[in-house]
Amino acid sequence: MPSICFYFEVHQPFRLNHFSVFNIGNTKDIHSTYFDKHLNQKIFEKVANKCYLPANNLLLELIRKYDGKFRISYSLTGTFVEYCENYLPELLDSFKELFKTGAVDLIDETYFHSLSGLYDELDEFEEQIKMHRQMIRRIFNYKPKVFRNTEAIYDNRIARKIADLGYKGILTEGAEKILGWRSPNFVYKSANANLKVLLRNYKLSDDVGFRFSARNWPGFPLTADKYANWMSNSYGDVINLFMDYETFGEHQWIETGIFEFLKHLPGEVLKHDSLDFATVSEAVERYNAVGDVDSPWAISWADEDRNVSTWLGNNMQIACFNELKYIGQKLKRKGDRDLLYIWRLLQTSDHLYYISTKGFEDGTVHAYFSPYDIPYDGFINYMNILQDLKEKAEKR
Amino acid sequence: MKIAMIGWEYPPFKVGGLGTHCYGLTHGLADKNVHIDFYMPKLRQKIKSDNKNINIIEVGESEVYPYDRPDDKEIGGKFFDAVYRYNDLLVKRIKGKYDVIHCHDWLTMKAAIAVKEKLGIPLVLTIHSTEYDRSGWIYPNQWFIDIEREGMQKADRIIAVSEFTKRVIVEKYGIHPDKITVVHNAVYPIGEGEKRNLILFLGRLTIQKGPEFFLKTAKKVLEYEDARFVIAGIGDLLPRLIEQAVHLGISNKVIFTGKLTEEEVKHIYKISSIYVMPSVSEPFGITALEAISAGTPTIVSKSAGVSEVLKNCFKVDFWDTDEMANKIIALLRYDSLRDTMTQSSKREIQLFTWDRVAERTLQVYRGLV
Repeated sequence: MPSICFYFEVHQPFRLNHFSVFNIGNTKDIHSTYFDKHLNQKIFEKVANKCYLPANNLLLELIRKYDGKFRISYSLTGTFVEYCENYLPELLDSFKELFKTGAVDLIDETYFHSLSGLYDELDEFEEQIKMHRQMIRRIFNYKPKVFRNTEAIYDNRIARKIADLGYKGILTEGAEKILGWRSPNFVYKSANANLKVLLRNYKLSDDVGFRFSARNWPGFPLTADKYANWMSNSYGDVINLFMDYETFGEHQWIETGIFEFLKHLPGEVLKHDSLDFATVSEAVERYNAVGDVDSPWAISWADEDRNVSTWLGNNMQIACFNELKYIGQKLKRKGDRDLLYIWRLLQTSDHLYYISTKGFEDGTVHAYFSPYDIPYDGFINYMNILQDLKEKAEKR
Repeated sequence: MKIAMIGWEYPPFKVGGLGTHCYGLTHGLADKNVHIDFYMPKLRQKIKSDNKNINIIEVGESEVYPYDRPDDKEIGGKFFDAVYRYNDLLVKRIKGKYDVIHCHDWLTMKAAIAVKEKLGIPLVLTIHSTEYDRSGWIYPNQWFIDIEREGMQKADRIIAVSEFTKRVIVEKYGIHPDKITVVHNAVYPIGEGEKRNLILFLGRLTIQKGPEFFLKTAKKVLEYEDARFVIAGIGDLLPRLIEQAVHLGISNKVIFTGKLTEEEVKHIYKISSIYVMPSVSEPFGITALEAISAGTPTIVSKSAGVSEVLKNCFKVDFWDTDEMANKIIALLRYDSLRDTMTQSSKREIQLFTWDRVAERTLQVYRGLV
């Protein structure tokens, strides 16, 4: 009897201001010069109205209607929570309301949705996880048992660290690279740590996340009963449906019928005796690991490649990434808390994502999410800001 | 299929993109077994065809160049006499069986219309630039505009080198958009050379091409990074630009090359580190493709047609010299940016082939016969 594990990533980055070479060394109020407050607030409010608020309302309604049988999990990044606290506290209240139902689980992340899991040392990674833990405790008075790294980036080193930090499970992509012939619909265990691994069923997840409104897709139109039938025909213990929360109303607009789909899904699923819903913590507890997954190299849920080439695929990205790491070393020695916080905001993986030059198919996805016309503009802007921060790190 | 094509210039005797286009287009068509009689003004040296399907026919004698926009004082003078004489000669000279007559820009429009009526065959008109472009949108001359409008109205089909130019044809000349097909230009790759610390401007020194913005940008860059700025080409702005460089205090960093041969142009593309095209108005801008094919990262004006189709280059407003300097400094400072852009853009321009241009043009012909 497969349990359906719905998990939603809820994240917003702080996008950057236009920052030219002539600004380097001339910044006073760093936060307002680096970050485009106006644009960020505008995008956040737009997405909140199109997605976060209506989706929260609908899910709350569904959980109540099905008396807790419909169960879901979220991770909220630290930057997302800061947006809520600054601009829309009622959105955070609505997440609290959801959590109170007992049918909602929360997952830890790196606070800044960063690539710190790929740094040479994992101290920064650990600090950001602890910041996230503190935030979840402060707001929800809860200690998550399951971890999900930025965009599901996973390798053996990360797995060991996460096990050391006391988590019971981790989420990542059901990539062939680590699964081989095996199905993602089972719970696995890390090859080098005492940690259960939940693997995204990317076919079924992307049917909703990417293909829902694709008219040239044979599955179109996707209805709740059709989708529930597909799942009831699936073999295994778990069906992990991991996706961006913005799928509902933002990537897939309301006009596509995505909310109608979601509204009818729990009812259609529960018609099948063979299906139920579980949170990620419940899945990790309920099912035994059927085998090991070994991931010496990092995988992720991004793009066709399902590795880290989305953020570190070209020399521009690597140059920025190296600069970022170097500035961190300098700043940690200085111990300037304000600058450290700014540096961490700049670690949000989206900044590197905008500089990706990957091929046409993936590139169109990148272009949709990017505030820049071309990745080269993204590089110059980000690099100029890093240079300014570097000057400050070296000076003070 | 047999085409009578009327041109004004053809390599090795050319001053602009028109000659390059005619060469690439005729060869692309010839490879598709289209026969072309290419009519052009007689020059001092004879031009020979290098393709059995292309027959070059020289008409009369002339000294006029299409892109040199004469000052108002010359209007009605020698320049126009030469244009009229060439057109008259063309009408007399073009006879025989053709499927289509194909003409480029305003200079030979009068003749093209007359030939169309004389032979009763469809007329295709390619617009490489309009009077609005050549004047930099400052005081466009009505005499040119009237000729252009008549040609556009009488043509059976118009090919525009960009969406930008198509919009001008629709909005400024009142032509129905359905009559216009956009065919973007192409390039014969030049190949890479050993790069030096040179930043290149290449084009006629006219208001249209925006060389003064290049110099203003140079001044800003030089406050941060060292480089040489090359201004390649000739034109009526040359004396003013030399003065401007002195005035800005950067004359020791600016090189004026004067007129360059085709070989010299290739060489300078090859050794330049960055190419800048700050055109005020540029229907297409083939030089951007040429620079990239020589491995040179390129910054183009947003008001250039090439910016519609080329992804791997910087696009800036021609007047935004701060932003232009910002991009140049970044290109000079960061190998990662320079290398990534060079590689991606070289891959991208492999799509810009004359075969594609010929194919699209042939489709236009086929729609008419």
